Amino acid sequence: MRASLILFVAFATASLSTVSAVVDETEMERLFTLKIKPMLSEKCFSCHGGPGKEVKGGLKLTTLEDFVKGGEFFDDVLIPGDAEYSFVMEAVRWKDPDFEMPPKENDRLSEVQIADLEKWINAGAHWPDEKRQNEIRLAERKVRENEEGILIDHSGGLSDEWTYRRYKPEDMWAFMPIRKPAVPEVPTKTGNPIDSFVGAKLQEAGYEPAPQADPITLIRRASFDLTGLPPSPEEVADFKMAFKQNPDSAWTELVDRLLESDHYGERWGQHWLDVARYSDTGGMSNDYERSNAWRYRDYVIRSFNEDKPYNEFVIEQVAGDELVANSVEDRLDGDEEAISKIHGTGAYTPQETEWMVASSFLRMGPWDSAMVAKPEARQIYIDDIVNSVGQTFLSTTMRCVKCHDHKFDPLPTKDYYRLYSAFSTTQLAERPAAFHPKENLNGFEEGRAMVEQLHAFAAEKKELLHEKREAAAKAWFTERGLEYVDYASRKELHDDNKPPRDIGLDYIDEGRLKVREQDDWIWERRKERYQPMVQSVFNSHLPKSVNARKLRVTDKIEENEMTESFILLGGSLKAPGERVSPGVLSALGVPVDPAGDDPYIIPEDLDGRRLAVARWIADARNPLTSRSYVNRIWQHHFGKPLAANPNNFGAKGEKPTHPDLIDWLAAEFVDGGWKIKRMHKLIMLSDTYKQSTIHPAREKLETVDPSNDLLVSFPPRRLTAEEIRDGMLKITGELNTELGGLPVMPEINMEVALQPRMIQFSIAPAHQPFPKPEQRNRRSVYAYRARGQADPFLEIFNQPNSNDSCEIRDDASVSPQAFTLLNSDLVTDRSIAFAVRLIREEKSFSKRVSRAFELALSRSPTKEEQMHMLDYVENMRDYHKEHKPVPVTYPTKITRSLVEEFSGKPFEYEEILPAFENYVPDKKATDVDADTRALADLCLVLFNTNEFVHVY
Amino acid sequence: MKLPICSRPLSTPTTRRDFLCGLTASLGSLAMTSMLAKDYPSSLLKASATDQGPLWPKEPMFPAKAKSVIMLFMEGAPGHMDTFDPKPELQRLHKQESTLAEEGDPFKFFVGSPFGSRKVGQSGLDMCDQWQYIADPEVADEFCNYRGCQAESVNHPEALFHMNTGSRLGSDPALGAWTTYGLGSMNQNLPGYVVMTELAMPQGGAGNWSNGFLPAHYQGTRLRPEGSPILDLKSQPNKTREHQRRALDELAFLNQRHAYRHPEHKDLAARMESYELAYRMQTEVPDVIDLKGEPEYVREMYGMNDKETAVFGRQCLMARRLVEEGTRFVQIFTGGWDSHDYLEEGHSSRIRSVDRGMAALIKDLKQRGMLDETLVIWTGEFGRTPDNNKRGGVYSLGRDHNAEAMTMMLAGGGVKKGAIVGATDELGKSAVDVVHPIRDLHVTLLHLLGLDDNKLTYLHGGRYKQLSQFGGQLIRELIA
Repeated sequence: MRASLILFVAFATASLSTVSAVVDETEMERLFTLKIKPMLSEKCFSCHGGPGKEVKGGLKLTTLEDFVKGGEFFDDVLIPGDAEYSFVMEAVRWKDPDFEMPPKENDRLSEVQIADLEKWINAGAHWPDEKRQNEIRLAERKVRENEEGILIDHSGGLSDEWTYRRYKPEDMWAFMPIRKPAVPEVPTKTGNPIDSFVGAKLQEAGYEPAPQADPITLIRRASFDLTGLPPSPEEVADFKMAFKQNPDSAWTELVDRLLESDHYGERWGQHWLDVARYSDTGGMSNDYERSNAWRYRDYVIRSFNEDKPYNEFVIEQVAGDELVANSVEDRLDGDEEAISKIHGTGAYTPQETEWMVASSFLRMGPWDSAMVAKPEARQIYIDDIVNSVGQTFLSTTMRCVKCHDHKFDPLPTKDYYRLYSAFSTTQLAERPAAFHPKENLNGFEEGRAMVEQLHAFAAEKKELLHEKREAAAKAWFTERGLEYVDYASRKELHDDNKPPRDIGLDYIDEGRLKVREQDDWIWERRKERYQPMVQSVFNSHLPKSVNARKLRVTDKIEENEMTESFILLGGSLKAPGERVSPGVLSALGVPVDPAGDDPYIIPEDLDGRRLAVARWIADARNPLTSRSYVNRIWQHHFGKPLAANPNNFGAKGEKPTHPDLIDWLAAEFVDGGWKIKRMHKLIMLSDTYKQSTIHPAREKLETVDPSNDLLVSFPPRRLTAEEIRDGMLKITGELNTELGGLPVMPEINMEVALQPRMIQFSIAPAHQPFPKPEQRNRRSVYAYRARGQADPFLEIFNQPNSNDSCEIRDDASVSPQAFTLLNSDLVTDRSIAFAVRLIREEKSFSKRVSRAFELALSRSPTKEEQMHMLDYVENMRDYHKEHKPVPVTYPTKITRSLVEEFSGKPFEYEEILPAFENYVPDKKATDVDADTRALADLCLVLFNTNEFVHVY
Repeated sequence: MKLPICSRPLSTPTTRRDFLCGLTASLGSLAMTSMLAKDYPSSLLKASATDQGPLWPKEPMFPAKAKSVIMLFMEGAPGHMDTFDPKPELQRLHKQESTLAEEGDPFKFFVGSPFGSRKVGQSGLDMCDQWQYIADPEVADEFCNYRGCQAESVNHPEALFHMNTGSRLGSDPALGAWTTYGLGSMNQNLPGYVVMTELAMPQGGAGNWSNGFLPAHYQGTRLRPEGSPILDLKSQPNKTREHQRRALDELAFLNQRHAYRHPEHKDLAARMESYELAYRMQTEVPDVIDLKGEPEYVREMYGMNDKETAVFGRQCLMARRLVEEGTRFVQIFTGGWDSHDYLEEGHSSRIRSVDRGMAALIKDLKQRGMLDETLVIWTGEFGRTPDNNKRGGVYSLGRDHNAEAMTMMLAGGGVKKGAIVGATDELGKSAVDVVHPIRDLHVTLLHLLGLDDNKLTYLHGGRYKQLSQFGGQLIRELIA
């Protein structure tokens, strides 16, 4: 075959635009059938001739005759044997701005496709009949690999064309089994295989790695990396000392110490929560409270701190509730009554609780059933969870496979609906689960008391309006000589026999009633936060209710009401196609049941579907799972992943810069029992990690490798939103390092805290901070996350919106960040606290300045800086003597204005803010003297420096 | 790179020259050119985003009809038959049992519009009798009424997201974000994409003006209606502008030395520049939104002296000033249109609140010769149904949500003048002529701005994403 191809090329080049007689006809028929036709079908037929479709410009391309005939605008679209004068070539090359075909950037033909088309036209535009095309296709399907790429086995697409399409092997890197690559033989100082893999590429490119970073840079890098906090000056001094004596052992000890810190889980848990879309509310128009979501957040943090093997971590999150069910059944030996009692009360063992809480992962997406019919609400949920599982664990985007076979990856829509089916019996519920001994239950009493106060206020206001209405209703019945019927029972009455619904209430009352009724259940719901409950799931066929306001485990429904799943054509519930069984992605070659007829199918029992999916994801042979997670680990150590789209390893995701390294790490990860801390250590002990950010050949490298894909130096990064806030709190000494517990209400920008935020029918209650500084000044990972209202400080520093899984955070510098760091109460308060600390700890001005640098930047100021800053503080002392600060006040109630929904008229109501009744503010400018305020100015400048907000 | 030498003795006060001395050393041409950007006509500014900062003005892909957009968003969804698309047949069927109910629906009845309608201006556009100011022929004949658009969701936040971002899910890049991504902004000292809301944010909140996967520079900046227009725009009350300048100089001092130690770090200059831009915005933003200098007749024209029209009028005037100063995209959200009941009171009060400001905006833009280059759009997130349910046993005179039909008004920026495009059926249940989904509207709006939706793409998660998601059709009937 190769010979004939070469022969053909020789012919073709010899007689390009002349005759077609000399070309190899078979070869041209193959070219048409295997390349040109599929391309026409994919790129052109939707506008130019697919059956039943509109034909644009009167041009049809489905037969050679039509192609040659042309359309309204041109009759020279295709001139067989003469590509140069065939207008189609101009169109696909986008030469004519009015006829750029296909018109979308995404669909543009590749250079190779254009060359094929040209070749085909010049050779005479061979168009064999259907029969011949079929013969060619069938023959080709027996060839596993050809120049077009490889065939991949899977459960099959909607068309044969899709099923037998080919993939470029390099595009399929992530779907292929992992074979641990041999470590390249490159000399390294450490013997660390990572250095060998990175070194091999460097050697190829002809560069040496950057030298090792200095000890201050190293301890800052490692501390932020593993704990999200800066090192204390004492830690820096100790490390410098130890580093002087023995750099290697000092470094190893440092990494070990940081990995043992509880702050490690807070930092690395946050990365996971970004991907899992953690939030304390459900989003959409109601933004319903998910009162117990915090237990999942703490589960994640605990799992990292305990170094839970990743495969277990996966299984628990996808099927924790099923693990509980199995465990309870086992320990009670199938005693159904006792089992049901345990599930009813949540009297689980700590391990079972842990599993139950893990299943909250399945409840993390934004979801609400308001204004949506039940089947559609279910579909929205299941689509979301399938996609979320794909992105989170498999680095695979599933959204497009909902409507059609994947355009680029070997993911048939059938497999999507198999997974869909696996989750189709997953129902949402808040379930009881006893508190875990490691859960932090501080602040329950105080929190509950405040919620009760707020609830009582709303309930009383509501009651008064009800009384007013019922008084009018009584009068109405009396007037007509009818017996009074209470509100609830009136629903049954005929319209003529009952008063109007809101009788006795004007539009102001109606508006207020709606607000109070809303508040009544908002606070009722909030009380669940203090209950041993979990945002979880259970298995059942058709659900009784899907109202997101209150979701409970309901009785299992009769067998004949089985949930069935179908391929939904175009993703529409109205277009069910082939029926599917639960199952997994078939293209990975990892079976769920190796002995089964179809090894990728899961039994259709009600229970166990998700556990089967979970175990399949966590199967050591699943090539996506381990690659996915080592890539994420790498990403957070270096600020950039090896494969640049951590949620998409498909053909359209970026390819890994170091394919062998990612595979070696993945294999090593699995070999080491899926232990994450081990991987951290492996990476951090490499010379690659310890490199300086500055390379001697920097200027040249900027053109050769502008995005540092070679990892020739360590990439600097900006601190995350949480690191900036937590770092400041640690530096000022205000940080309360308590672990876990109820969502923390920090002080956020007061304008935002009190601004009205629309939810359906009403305004959400104001953000009320905890009353004491030590309650508020906790790590940001514990702060309350409402989808409808972000903390503006964190948001502006790119804390992601939790509606989408965040694979990588943005870190663009925008001016509002400067406003926040310069002017906000939050940073001003930190600067005052910082100054107070400095004055407390040091007597002389010059020592205070030095200490400020040491705390904030882990280094002493240079002499020049010291002099300059002393001068600044001196000047500011004079300034502050002249400029007195203004006291800050906190309101204990607020008047809200809202437009009544039905009448469109505005009305007002009052909201109480009990948090501010006994509020202890952070230290304010008014609490300190001019000296302190002057020093605080310096502190504020330090928090704004590039040096503080970046790690090197 | 040599460390700059600042000759200022340590204790003397800061001067402008010193500030520049500090600044140019690390920012070089970046800072200087950004500051000058607004003084150049756009034809001279062909620079790409990477050269001059992401909001640097860019040439459109083809000659544009409109340079800027002012979008007036009627949150809650106005009824088309109660504003610009009268339905006499519905009037006749008022309170009769609805024939549109589907199986399983509760009893529904038709609701005739509480308002009369008349033809206005030379062009004879339909307007209900509640519209006073925009019915003025001078204004009315500028409008194009489009009746063919269809939404998909009947849920407010989803439909709002859809109209604003092209996606029902929210938090994708908004139309304004795509526009500033494609064209940059004409004034580097002001946000390129400004959003104004009432005190309460619309449903879905900031997800309606998000940059989504586009870089953060393109997100809408919300000018808050009360308090600080931009959060923390103002210094703490005891800190003067001179105090701020000095702090920034000290910051520049430390940052320069740091930049000297870290020549490898490319993001440092941009971050330093963001502080200087912030400093300039601190004066420019309050200047643009401070309406004190506007003459009395202008305030009167925008209805700022009347409580009912003042809020929206003020926002319309600010929108005009922003666009005049070079802001690319301004959006005003105003709510309360969700009239399930008391349609007459609800819609008439809403119409009164926007009528005057909207008319003033058109007139003002016209007088200043800006209307041709400014596209004004008035729309809701969907339309309303011809029929309604009984509520509490009573014929409640209101309407439900309707994704199949809606109405919008467009003016300026290359759209037809005095035209009605498309039609709904005789009851207003569904669009029947020149019917297009929202994505086609988006494609058309971008087209008027000189942007091709198919080429205005951004590589995200391995795909070239575009506003219309899957491409769309131009609604040629709307274009002059």
